[in-house]
Amino acid sequence: MKPAAVDYARPRSLSQALELLARPNIEARVIAGGQSLVAMMNLRVASPGLLVDIARLPDLGSVTEEDSTVFYGACVTHAMIEDRVGPDPSQGLMPKIAETLAYRAVRNRGTIGGSLALADPAAEWPAVLAALDATAIIEGWNGKKAVACKDFVTGIYETRLGAGEIIVAIWVPKLSPQARWGYVKLARKAGEFALSLAVAVRDPARGYARVVLGAADGPPLVLDATSRLCARGRVDSGAAREAIAADLARAADRQFDTFHRSLHATAALRALTQATQAAP
Amino acid sequence: MSVADGTTARGIGASVLRREDARHLDGRGEFVPDIRLPGIRDVAFLRSPHAHARIKSIRVPPGMKGRIFTAADLPRIQPIRVVTQAAGAKSPPWPPLATDKVRYVGEAIAVCVAPTRGDAEDLANNIQVEYEVLDAAVDAPQVWRGSRHLVHESWGDNLYLERVIEGGDIEAAARAAEITVTREYRMNRQSGAPMEGRAVLAYRDHRLDEVVVYASTQTPHTVRVALGEILGIEQRRIRVVAPDVGGGFGPKARLYPEEVILAALALELDHPVRWIEDRSENLLTCAHTRDHHYKVTAYADRQGKVLGVDCEIIVDAGAYGLWPQGPYQEANMAGRTLPGPYTIANYRARTYTVATNKTPLGPYRGVGRPGACFAIERTIDEVARAVGRDPAEVRIENMIRSEQMPFASVAGMRYDTGDYPASVKLCAELLDMPRVRARQKQGEADGRLIGIGFASFTEQTAHGAAEFASRGASIIPGFESCTARILPDGSLVLHVGIQSHGQGLETTLSQIACQELGIDPSHISVRHGDTESTAFGFGTFASRSMVMSGGAVARASRMLRDKLCRIGAHLLQCDPADVRCEGGAVHGPQGSVTIGEIANVAHLRMDGLPPGVDPLLDMTATYEPQISTGVFSYATHGAVVAVDAETGFIELLDFAVAEDCGTMVNPMIVEGQIRGGVAQGIGTALYEEIPYDAQGQPLAVTFADYLMPGAAELPAIKIGHMHTPASATEYGMKGMGEGGAVAPPAAIANAVRDALAALGAEVNETPLTPARVLAAIQKAKAAAA
Amino acid sequence: MSAIRYRLNGADLSEDVAPRLSLADLLRERHNLTATHLGCEHGVCGACTVLVDGMPARACLMLAVTCDDRQIHSLEGLRDDPIIAALRDSFHRRHAVQCGFCTPGMLISARDLIQRGRAGSEAEIRQGLAGNLCRCTGYTNIVSAIAEAAKTMAAQGAAQGKGS
Repeated sequence: MKPAAVDYARPRSLSQALELLARPNIEARVIAGGQSLVAMMNLRVASPGLLVDIARLPDLGSVTEEDSTVFYGACVTHAMIEDRVGPDPSQGLMPKIAETLAYRAVRNRGTIGGSLALADPAAEWPAVLAALDATAIIEGWNGKKAVACKDFVTGIYETRLGAGEIIVAIWVPKLSPQARWGYVKLARKAGEFALSLAVAVRDPARGYARVVLGAADGPPLVLDATSRLCARGRVDSGAAREAIAADLARAADRQFDTFHRSLHATAALRALTQATQAAP
Repeated sequence: MSVADGTTARGIGASVLRREDARHLDGRGEFVPDIRLPGIRDVAFLRSPHAHARIKSIRVPPGMKGRIFTAADLPRIQPIRVVTQAAGAKSPPWPPLATDKVRYVGEAIAVCVAPTRGDAEDLANNIQVEYEVLDAAVDAPQVWRGSRHLVHESWGDNLYLERVIEGGDIEAAARAAEITVTREYRMNRQSGAPMEGRAVLAYRDHRLDEVVVYASTQTPHTVRVALGEILGIEQRRIRVVAPDVGGGFGPKARLYPEEVILAALALELDHPVRWIEDRSENLLTCAHTRDHHYKVTAYADRQGKVLGVDCEIIVDAGAYGLWPQGPYQEANMAGRTLPGPYTIANYRARTYTVATNKTPLGPYRGVGRPGACFAIERTIDEVARAVGRDPAEVRIENMIRSEQMPFASVAGMRYDTGDYPASVKLCAELLDMPRVRARQKQGEADGRLIGIGFASFTEQTAHGAAEFASRGASIIPGFESCTARILPDGSLVLHVGIQSHGQGLETTLSQIACQELGIDPSHISVRHGDTESTAFGFGTFASRSMVMSGGAVARASRMLRDKLCRIGAHLLQCDPADVRCEGGAVHGPQGSVTIGEIANVAHLRMDGLPPGVDPLLDMTATYEPQISTGVFSYATHGAVVAVDAETGFIELLDFAVAEDCGTMVNPMIVEGQIRGGVAQGIGTALYEEIPYDAQGQPLAVTFADYLMPGAAELPAIKIGHMHTPASATEYGMKGMGEGGAVAPPAAIANAVRDALAALGAEVNETPLTPARVLAAIQKAKAAAA
Repeated sequence: MSAIRYRLNGADLSEDVAPRLSLADLLRERHNLTATHLGCEHGVCGACTVLVDGMPARACLMLAVTCDDRQIHSLEGLRDDPIIAALRDSFHRRHAVQCGFCTPGMLISARDLIQRGRAGSEAEIRQGLAGNLCRCTGYTNIVSAIAEAAKTMAAQGAAQGKGS
């Protein structure tokens, strides 16, 4: 299939981009890496009127840091993260996520901001960024706002992005060297979207622990009881199973069938075990 | 006259590197979408979104007539009709563009012509079709009997064909049984999914007064036959060319509506028209494959010796029959193959080929055999478990032994040569079975369960007239042809009726000519795939090309050799009995003359020819094996798996093939075909499926949903060879292109059964997805409780 | 239509493109560079892989209009590349080609693996080929061909490093 006709603009600045996105009567869509959007356009499941190309806007493509935070421009590619371009705040978790995300040719162009903004329920970054307590920095015609990544995705392909707004950066707090994490992606073949995805992060030096489920038929699911168990360190597997089951049961808005519920429970338990049994 | 020198280094048995590689590695392959002609317009189809509906009206905006065509606008197109002599078979007419009804999602309704494909798709969006949506017949075992949800209203049921295959006395076997094992198996619908989809480029050649159709097809000559019939044109005015074809595997060995429509458009319009199938169209409308349901009962004694097998086979064949063979062979082949390489003496297979509102079903590497192998090999394992014995031992004890060859199977197949038990033993060796068992006992650190499983089969290849006639076919692909032509400079061209699309036939057929003529392959060209330049032939499918086309090449080459020797002897002034043809020349007692010199005489200096010998060095031969019921390759496949019982995920740790295809012309290419087939078999076993919902909507039409194994999912595939030449073919060759795809689903399912033996869980449905594995484990745990 | 200026296989070009035109169709239909094949147009199969600014990318997912100011190499433009030459040789000798449709994309991805030092083991190569589907070969020979070419390149590099 070939896309429907579309217009195209490559703004030279962020404010030009916002102005284009704010125009009425035209369905304008941001294109960064295009790895999801162009595939959707090729299938004609997306047919925007105007593409606003932000891939090469200055300031959106770099990885910088301050004392306790690493700042990713929204257009940082998955390959840059895989290749550890710039500082890594995640003690190796983010590069590990990146290296099994899709395929290298897709990673060379696809962006972390694009992935978060699309909010495919089976994508990796929304869950990982929620687990790392990252923050999405959004700009729109009426200013800038910050949204915690754990709250950013609100549904399947739905986010807190308002009309005419774009993600400009993602801020990730640095894990301390004592932090440990667990990551389980259950997919039937390399590069495929996950059937279940679990990320557990424990950073006792900062009093932080969070366990998040992705590919969970909706926004990333923070497992509260499981996170509290994670904070404690050594975990009894019986208590872990109970906490996970309770967290899954509380997610009343999700329609897990038996198979997926079982996978999620297993993924969460394995990620939790990785994070809490690794030597401190 | 001399005989061929059997020791040439580049003939039979040599792993000659492929001449095809140069153009592909250089990016100069020429596939249909690569062909450039001035004025090409691209085409897009409007396809039915409904599985079953009446078309009440089709409205095309007035300005778009001449760019949008429905059936009414192309009256020269007749329906495609499969003609079969099979008793009781029904064959529905298939209008290439739908007229009053659509019967599967994806059925073509209108065709749009525009400067680019994107423009043509835009045009298609302007067509307004009013549908009366009808209930869809989707569940083959449920729908074939009754008169509700008829796919073809005039039928009264949804049955293309019902056929019973039987031998011996199954009731007696049932009575004598000490053990009875009954199982249901399901091989789910999938696609062949070659990397290149279909494509058609058609135009009128006014100089030659013909319509030229470039098509990504395995069978150009028979496509020409079909186009002539359906469009009402003499075949001399049609040329069909298959250039480079990016994989075929069976689905491209059938006629498609799009080929008919593009040819009709080329006749109608004054410019070339091109259709390049996109991946969604390919997954949606190129032949679907497999889709079998089995119910099998095996009767055995308490040692595990199988006394009889009684089965029911249902094939979900979709809404129409693909020309020329229709859907009938699938169930027939499954029914006749299910007894496997075993001495089973009592058998009954009740087979039903069912019409549903789905994409038509077509052949794909192995056709009915992967399903039949799955059904019998799982059953043999269950018989073994029922009597408490090792499946490999029970398998061997039931097998036909080489001393019993040739063996007439209870289903009417004639197995020619082979040592089936040896293949089981060789396969177990390749996998180092004792080491696997030791590892199994030790247990894995990550808690996964190890299993090893085997599956054996014997398969009919290069079958000819007798076999196809017995199927009631009206087109009998019983021979192949070759025109071998030496040019004035002594170089050789082989014109063959098959079509090489990855099998390396440009290389291997030249090896055969080299074997017979002593001309090195570097001085031989092979022309194939073009009705213009080759004598009639059927194409590449049914693992037939080396035996059939190779046989024709051998015959034509020998005819050439005889003439070369006659002329050479004359030039050398000696007796023809005293010369031999070798190393590019004819050698006599006192000298040699090169083939180039002989060719010069035969074309440019015919005054030098011996009396009674005509000019030219041009021979056409056909070939069919003396026994047209087929020559049987066989193999045992083995798989080692690690199963994660908490998630249902399966990792393939090791895979081995112990096979026998008789004499191998090019061992390197044989192994390439095995590995490619195995990868596809693993795809069937673990990944590939097109599910349908209750409304007849297919649920996997992109590569996001339709999964195929990549390099990371496959182990290195081990191969061991046995060599039992066929008795009735040239050089003792047997066909082998499909075998790799036949046994992996059974071997893997048996390995999973072995891994989960302590849990008692079985998975009897392909693909063995994590969901199915987990469900089987839950079911077994519940049963144990 | 949008104007783009880009470098294609070493030649500087300037042309107008409709925004919906993919890089793959620009190469194939306008420039007759047909080595780049279309197998799915959703970014999964890898048959369309080309180099954009030296890195593998899916030509089916890149709009031509976004190639402004970029360097594009298709297989046709890599005929003199030493890694491609080593791969062509090893693919041929190891029978890593059957129908040829996946081959150009496979070569470009393989070249990238070798260049980035990710072709050191069978497992690494197999992971690295996740984005290139082949339906014909079963991958065994492709993997061994890449391993062999990687060794050839390493030996060449070592020979050069040792300085003659």
